[in-house]
Amino acid sequence: MKVTFPYMGTVIIYKKLLELLGHEVIVPPRPSQRTIDLGVKYSPEFACFPFKVIMGSYIEACEMGVDTIVTSGGHGPCRAGFYGEIHKRILHRMGYDVDVIIFDAINRDKDKFMENVRKIKGKNSWIKLSKAVKFTYDLLKQIDVFDKEIHRIKPYEEVPGSTYKAWQEIQKEFDLAYDKKQLKKAVERSREIINSIRLKKVDEREKIRIGIVGEIFVVMEPSINMEIERILGELGCEVERSQYLSEWVDFNLVPSFLKKTHEEEVLKKGEKYIEIIIGGHAKQTVGFIVDFKDRGFDGVIHLMPFACLPELVSQSIIPKISKEHDIPVLTLSIDEQTGKANNLTRIEAFIDLIRNKKLGKFVV
Amino acid sequence: MVKAYIGIDVGSVSTNIIALDEDNEVLFKLYERTNGQPLETIKKGLKKLRDELGKNIIVSGVGTTGSGRQLAGVMIGADIIKNEITAHAVATVHYVPDVRTIFEIGGQDSKIILIKDQMVVDFAMNTVCAAGTGSFLDHQAERLGIPIEEFGKLALTSKNDVRIAGRCTVFAESDMIAKQQYGFSKADIIKGLCNALVRNYINNLGRGKKLEPPYVFQGGVAANIGIKAAFEREVGHEVIVPKYYNVMGAIGAALLAKEAVKEKGKTNFRGFDSLKTNFVPSSFICTGCSNMCEVIKVEMDGTPIAMWGDRCGMWTEKVKQAM
Repeated sequence: MKVTFPYMGTVIIYKKLLELLGHEVIVPPRPSQRTIDLGVKYSPEFACFPFKVIMGSYIEACEMGVDTIVTSGGHGPCRAGFYGEIHKRILHRMGYDVDVIIFDAINRDKDKFMENVRKIKGKNSWIKLSKAVKFTYDLLKQIDVFDKEIHRIKPYEEVPGSTYKAWQEIQKEFDLAYDKKQLKKAVERSREIINSIRLKKVDEREKIRIGIVGEIFVVMEPSINMEIERILGELGCEVERSQYLSEWVDFNLVPSFLKKTHEEEVLKKGEKYIEIIIGGHAKQTVGFIVDFKDRGFDGVIHLMPFACLPELVSQSIIPKISKEHDIPVLTLSIDEQTGKANNLTRIEAFIDLIRNKKLGKFVV
Repeated sequence: MVKAYIGIDVGSVSTNIIALDEDNEVLFKLYERTNGQPLETIKKGLKKLRDELGKNIIVSGVGTTGSGRQLAGVMIGADIIKNEITAHAVATVHYVPDVRTIFEIGGQDSKIILIKDQMVVDFAMNTVCAAGTGSFLDHQAERLGIPIEEFGKLALTSKNDVRIAGRCTVFAESDMIAKQQYGFSKADIIKGLCNALVRNYINNLGRGKKLEPPYVFQGGVAANIGIKAAFEREVGHEVIVPKYYNVMGAIGAALLAKEAVKEKGKTNFRGFDSLKTNFVPSSFICTGCSNMCEVIKVEMDGTPIAMWGDRCGMWTEKVKQAM
């Protein structure tokens, strides 16, 4: 099988799992203007932006000879639940003979789920499969630790761009790890890389922490969210996202008797504002705003794909949350538009607002 | 010779240049249409400033703002490059210290800024939509054959209330035509249009926000007394239009430049003579990695003076080191 997957965030994770099971993995190029153009051209006009980008990415993967796509489904009343199926039909209509394996939550259709697992498992033994899953999971946990750390220290780097380079190197280290021993080494090497970054000393009171919440794809994939973490880092802010892959896995895939996830706590915090699951990540969005405030963050940026229904709902309730919890929130909607001057103005003004509020004066 | 601080606001429709003296009094004020040529417009504007004041002032600080702030800032050696929301707020607070709400309507965007204790506490900017901006009014004035300068005055003469849809300029336009065919006067239709624009503005930008007086209305559209009256009807309170309503962004940039220079001691201003040099902006796709960043390069007489757009910071850094 020549396999690919939706391009989102730290892609070496999906690649790793599939490789460990002996599949030939084709990683599509990082989403570029061409990806978006292709996606927009072949998608229904009213589909949301993540659908279009992933569409474009699949087409690029098909051009590279992929025959199988592995993706997750969706649950709840968000259009994303149909996306795997619609992607498949569009690809077939375009003449690409690909199999699309869609993983929905296990309790929804157990037989279908197991059938999918068997497809991925191939001739591997169940032991090998579980080992591969366990290893990937451990790797994922570790790499997310560094992902978080990079964006915490980015604003204080002495040499501009040094954390960005470090993050590239760290991903390479992890990419080369295929067993426990190598993983341990990758972690040690990454630690050294991080420690070698020279940092400026900044007074604790002057540090600004920004949380990013919203729909998972636009939050996690920097190539389509204007690299918001980097922009904020350059403006001197520490950044943490509401979504990390390891947390998504913990929450969605690990059986509930094995865990007590942070996400459940977060969802409780937002329940006052959105009681039931309305699809997408709307509940997480409102919960995380409260959570970021509780953890001492100074502001939150809310990202949503243009016309995303669940996030439109959370957007309308945000002013209330913002007021009740005294935390500034800026909503940005992301679409295929490439000019980012407009959003940059908003982000800069938002950071000015937070900095001035914190220090009690107009800072130049 | 007096010290002067220059503020430049490079917007989509107009480019504004201001010079302030040490006491923040306006020495020079210019409001020019950008006409898609920001570099040329800035050069022309600064030349005018020099011709008028050149011998009497020492330029002690320069600030830029507006959507073209980056390029303008690099070109003249700005001490501060600031987004227009902060710049507007700084200027308004200077003239109306107790201001709580700022309505700003420009050529292609509009914003609302909420202030408390002279600090910005919240703001909103219109999204991809021209309803509620100057360009739309411009267009409609032309269609009705009324000079834009007369537009507001005419609205005030109307005695009737005509409801026009303000959600979208396309609907607004067809609504206006329909009302025209019913026989309403131009004045009535224009008043209806002013109301629709303000209604749309408040619904869009003021959504979920508590708007408190004093209200200040600025930006190019503040020249339109019809819109000002519509705002007053909508909020039920007096709305202040400051004296320099159409150049507030530039004033803010000048005020911020003064602060910035105070902190670092001297200005980066390249001097008026630098205007004669040739600035050439260009862009290329960097192939250093798979990111394929579009890198913007500005050259002055053939030497690169600034680069941006690279995600890794490689080019940005290279230019900085070379200088």
